[in-house]
Amino acid sequence: MIELQDVSKAYYLGQTPVPVLKQISLHIQKGEFVAIMGSSGSGKSTLLNIIGCLDTVDSGRYSLSGTAVSDVPEKSLAILRNRYLGFIFQSFNLIPRISAERNVELPMIYAGVDPDVRKNRMLAALDIVGLKDRAQHTSADLSGGQQQRVAIARAIVNDPDIIIADEPTGALDSRNSQEVMRLFQQLNASGKTIVMVTHEDDIARYAHRVLIVDDGSIVNL
Amino acid sequence: MIHAGIYKDVMAQAFHALRDNKLRTVLSILGIAIGISAVMIVGAITKGINDYIYKELNTYGLKSVWIYRDWDNDDPNRVIRQGSGIDNDDYNIITSHKCCPAIKRATAVVYSRENIMPVRAGNHFFNASIEGVDVDYTEINNDQLKAGRNFRKDDIVRRKTVAIISPKAAKNLYGSANPIGKTFRFSNKKFQIIGLLAEKNRDLLNQIGADSYDVNGRILIPYTSYQTYFGVKDIHTVQAEAYELERTEEALQQLNAMLQRTHNYKYKYKQESMQGWMDTADQVLASISLVGLLGAGISLLIGGMNIMNIMSTTVVERTREIGIRKALGAQNSDILFQFLMEAITVSAIGGIIGLSMGIVITYLVAWFSGFPLSPSWLMAFIAVAVSVVVGLISGFYPAHRAARLKPVEALRYG
Ligand SMILES: Nc1ncnc2c1ncn2[C@@H]1O[C@H](COP(=O)(O)OP(=O)(O)OP(=O)(O)O)[C@@H](O)[C@H]1O
Ligand SMILES: [Mg+2]
Repeated sequence: MIELQDVSKAYYLGQTPVPVLKQISLHIQKGEFVAIMGSSGSGKSTLLNIIGCLDTVDSGRYSLSGTAVSDVPEKSLAILRNRYLGFIFQSFNLIPRISAERNVELPMIYAGVDPDVRKNRMLAALDIVGLKDRAQHTSADLSGGQQQRVAIARAIVNDPDIIIADEPTGALDSRNSQEVMRLFQQLNASGKTIVMVTHEDDIARYAHRVLIVDDGSIVNL
Repeated sequence: MIHAGIYKDVMAQAFHALRDNKLRTVLSILGIAIGISAVMIVGAITKGINDYIYKELNTYGLKSVWIYRDWDNDDPNRVIRQGSGIDNDDYNIITSHKCCPAIKRATAVVYSRENIMPVRAGNHFFNASIEGVDVDYTEINNDQLKAGRNFRKDDIVRRKTVAIISPKAAKNLYGSANPIGKTFRFSNKKFQIIGLLAEKNRDLLNQIGADSYDVNGRILIPYTSYQTYFGVKDIHTVQAEAYELERTEEALQQLNAMLQRTHNYKYKYKQESMQGWMDTADQVLASISLVGLLGAGISLLIGGMNIMNIMSTTVVERTREIGIRKALGAQNSDILFQFLMEAITVSAIGGIIGLSMGIVITYLVAWFSGFPLSPSWLMAFIAVAVSVVVGLISGFYPAHRAARLKPVEALRYG
């Protein structure tokens, strides 16, 4: 499902390249629940962004569900993200000012789904995260835990194969963190592949497999 | 490809974003509104002046042409010839359509060298412009009859002593009494009034010195009567109406050719049409619009720059939102469209406000100046179209920048 082959990525400080990912190769099967850990600045988010088609590789190959992502022009990555991927961020990243339901509808709007189908799927997704009755609220009226659950509803509404989560519990208290992880387990049980970055051991424990990134490389345990 | 479902989302976003930037939004809306209302007002004033001028020009009949002997400038052999160079035979050829296919109808105009002559009714005198004319004179000259009737062929053929009088002459001779059936004396001949002309307005043309003739001081009689009772043998001027505006030159050429032929090239003729006047009017109007549109253009430019400024700020402030949207699958075209729509919304609101302002100000100006102005719907349409285009142009650069943002970088922002 997810295959990285000798993937490298560097950022430039002026003219000098600062390597962030060094020849990373990894393989994630369909239905896996993988946690990525490592110290701050080790390159976890960079790796996750590449897997999530938010960023591009400098060299190496990346293929997702048989698509050679590293050959896809950057402009067309939006279609891959829209169809195969759902994102959950540490800071929730709901669009402020618009309601939960409008947020959840967005991926479907970009997928060109019919309005009446959209409404049904939006309500179903909010129902899964237990926030059907909060559909009209904007992020200002929602708690952190609720915002993250809306974000989860938004991530799954297009029924993607893969959930990409960068420190999804990083801004939540332990009760809300447990709640989010229960949802992740539920999604994973329904067949979704989950790739999650986390700092917390008790969160990583929910995953089937833990990858450690250290200074741009994956460390074998 | 832009996703159709995005419209509602985009409009909602546009209004939210504009509400969050009230001052800047109001300023750009105002800039556009001023520009658009200026366009509207210039349009209305130009149209008002245009209508006014053309209404006056129309008192001659726009398709009218005149041909008469060029008294100052013919006679190359220095042989003094009598006569006007146009006689009744020539005129009959014209009216029986045996020449001049560009001409729809014509009227003889007979008058003496001293154009203004005293007429008398009882003990009232009036210095009238007496003209001997044919039946079609009133229609060719767009003269309305306020009372009574026009000449009939019979009046002409039988050289009747009947007259059609213009309002000023009637007022001077008969006061406020109905002039129809009344009589007046002109060179000891008694004429009876059969028709009263409506007043004609040539104020503007008189004021600019284009016409010194008092159109409301006319008294019309059959040209045959004029010839019979006042010892005139020929016709001073033939006024003809061309079938179309574009055929006035052709009509004059045909008239001239016919007259030259029948008189063995003895005379030169002066040929006049309304074309020169219309050209002058159009030029004046064009320069008025140019000045106005320049002002309107500058204010639209400022409005457009304001929008560009707002949109640039908005794009920076909403970088993270752009990143989120891109993560969710928004393509560059979706983002471009969204921000373009915001810009267009601002300028379209400005356009609609400007439109309303333009209409209100136009009516106010009309009310206070007494000058007949009315907003032009074509201008209104152009104004709104222009405001949308201004939004499109000024929104494009910021929207394009937003669309090109890389998702990771946008998500790291803020
Ligand atoms: N756009 C960028 N420009 C320059 N340097 C960058 C950029 N993005 C990331 N980096 C650098 O690359 C390295 C890896 O960053 P990354 O965000 O992947 O780390 P991380 O493992 O997710 O860290 P954290 O646990 O703090 O989130 C860091 O040193 C970071 O400063
Ligand atoms: Mg990180």
